[in-house]
Amino acid sequence: MSGAAPALSVRRLRKAFGAVVAVDGVSLDAAPGEFLSLLGPSGCGKSTLLRMVAGLVEPDGGQVVLAGEDITRVAVHRRNLGLVFQSYALFPHMTVQENVAFGLRRRGVGEPELRPRVERMLELVRLGPLGARYPRELSGGQQQRVALARALVTEPRVLLLDEPLSNLDALLRDEMRVELKRLQERLGTTMIFVTHDQAEALILSDRVVVMEHGRVEQIGRPEEVYRRPATAFVARFLGRANFLAGTVAESAAGRTVVALEGGALSIVAGPRSGLVAGQPVHAVIRQESIRFEPAGDGAGAAGANRFAATVVFHAFAGQAHHYVVQLASGRELEVSAPGATVPLARGARALVAWRPEDVTLLPGGGPEPGGPR
Amino acid sequence: MRHGSGWWLLVPALLLLLVVFVVPVAMMVPMSFRPYVPLVGITDGFTARYYTRLLTDSYYLEIIGRTLALGFTVTLATLVIGYPVAFFLARTPSRWRSWLTILVVFPLMLNLVVRTFGWIALLAQNGLVNQALRALGLVDSPVKLLFNFAGLLIAMTHIFLPFMVLVLIGAIQNIPRDVEDAARVLGASWASTFCRVTLPLSAPGILSGSILVFVLTISALVTPRLLGGPTYQVMATLIYDEFLQRLNWPAGSAQALLLTLMVLALVYLSGRLARRTGARA
Repeated sequence: MSGAAPALSVRRLRKAFGAVVAVDGVSLDAAPGEFLSLLGPSGCGKSTLLRMVAGLVEPDGGQVVLAGEDITRVAVHRRNLGLVFQSYALFPHMTVQENVAFGLRRRGVGEPELRPRVERMLELVRLGPLGARYPRELSGGQQQRVALARALVTEPRVLLLDEPLSNLDALLRDEMRVELKRLQERLGTTMIFVTHDQAEALILSDRVVVMEHGRVEQIGRPEEVYRRPATAFVARFLGRANFLAGTVAESAAGRTVVALEGGALSIVAGPRSGLVAGQPVHAVIRQESIRFEPAGDGAGAAGANRFAATVVFHAFAGQAHHYVVQLASGRELEVSAPGATVPLARGARALVAWRPEDVTLLPGGGPEPGGPR
Repeated sequence: MRHGSGWWLLVPALLLLLVVFVVPVAMMVPMSFRPYVPLVGITDGFTARYYTRLLTDSYYLEIIGRTLALGFTVTLATLVIGYPVAFFLARTPSRWRSWLTILVVFPLMLNLVVRTFGWIALLAQNGLVNQALRALGLVDSPVKLLFNFAGLLIAMTHIFLPFMVLVLIGAIQNIPRDVEDAARVLGASWASTFCRVTLPLSAPGILSGSILVFVLTISALVTPRLLGGPTYQVMATLIYDEFLQRLNWPAGSAQALLLTLMVLALVYLSGRLARRTGARA
């Protein structure tokens, strides 16, 4: 991400609506050609941030810098950005072709150049034969492809996407994801993608910006934010995780030992700098990081991060089996196992185990920050 | 609804329409062809003279032309004045919006005769408007604003403005903001966005508001009677006089039928226009 000048920089951007601070001093960079997602629950400020970049919302403070040029005060229609809306926002009184040509016409592109460009773009989003139709004659997926073509045909410096797939049904959404990603790779357009769907963000993005309460919680590659969440919020928002409160019992070079609240159990985690013995922490373990081992397997329950457990709930969800298991201490853990494995019945006894490196330690005491979502 | 099962919902309205509109109009048709003999009354027989007179006599043609001209100008004036008001009211985030909307509708709560007399007081030779114009030195002698086109135009524009504004507010509120935002991001200035997106998308509202105001204007009776006096006639006052002053029901029927026909033709034509433009929206 270093090296080339960022295609888009946002610096300490702030916006309040009355007493509600929607965006609270957000700074981030998008590299040229990068696919950057703004991920967070509704009301976290991600859409407001995007609209400030587009110029549709005026920031209270901070800067928007596009390829080195400060555009904070530049009028919307002079920014040369693309924006795709959740509602598609097509012009209902224009045909598909007229919709796509709209931006080019505003830029004074002449008819002889305009026609082939519009047609090429419609081919690219696989809408070639539908140019003469009106938006209401198209399906949701087709309408969103028109919106994409309309935004991309002007070759915007950055394409902004505001939950563009959220109005589509599940199957179509999967299809459009793939299509969007291919389009981005092919055109090399820098894209800022707002979503509340963590799977979408992980699949599509080069980097994910996790936001909450108008602030950035973490910026990182999908693996980073998923496997190494920086905050409890990130851990909870991405995927499903178990939160175990405890205190650091031992912090050595290669490993950290955490004694769980209620005693009796201690777990071993990979090294994490900055933790000292006696400090309260939360150990975060992903559902899928926990695996079952056959009970009575010689080694018994004695090993590090290996505990005897009883299955108290089981459900099959296609790709995975969902379990809730209870440890001897009464603590419950959520576990997910690959769907192809032989399921364990309720009441079955098993050993659960996980690797030290799959445990994320987050400093902080007090009650567990909510259960897994 | 889809299979026509909802048609019975229209029965009360259709019955009312039949009794108070279709039947009276149908009864006027034979009436309009019967000869009226002064001092005798309506006699048996058949004549088309009320129609030929209506369509050839310059006196009647002038009144028809005046009525239509008034309809078009009042419609245009309410549209030009009303659109910005409606746009503001539809878009303002102000918490005063509902109060401002009530302010627009407020004149409707006042009796029509009272409002019209108010205009007489304002527009008369020695009325407030002329006094103000003379005090400002804009005119030397009083401007004639009563018993002519100008007076009717001013008063009827004022009276029918709320209808136009109310219809337009609804239409403008129905335009998704995202669509306008999309146009701006695509490089359209505010003015360009307004002309290419907002205005075309509010066309259905403009059309229905215009039909409403036009029909109300050309069929208005009280205001033209009071502000136009006994001599400056429009079709509605002409029909009124024919029926109630001259007791010439056949002539009145012919005139009333022509007015009805003009209204129906207008509604039909604008409906076709709406389908043609609406096919896109």
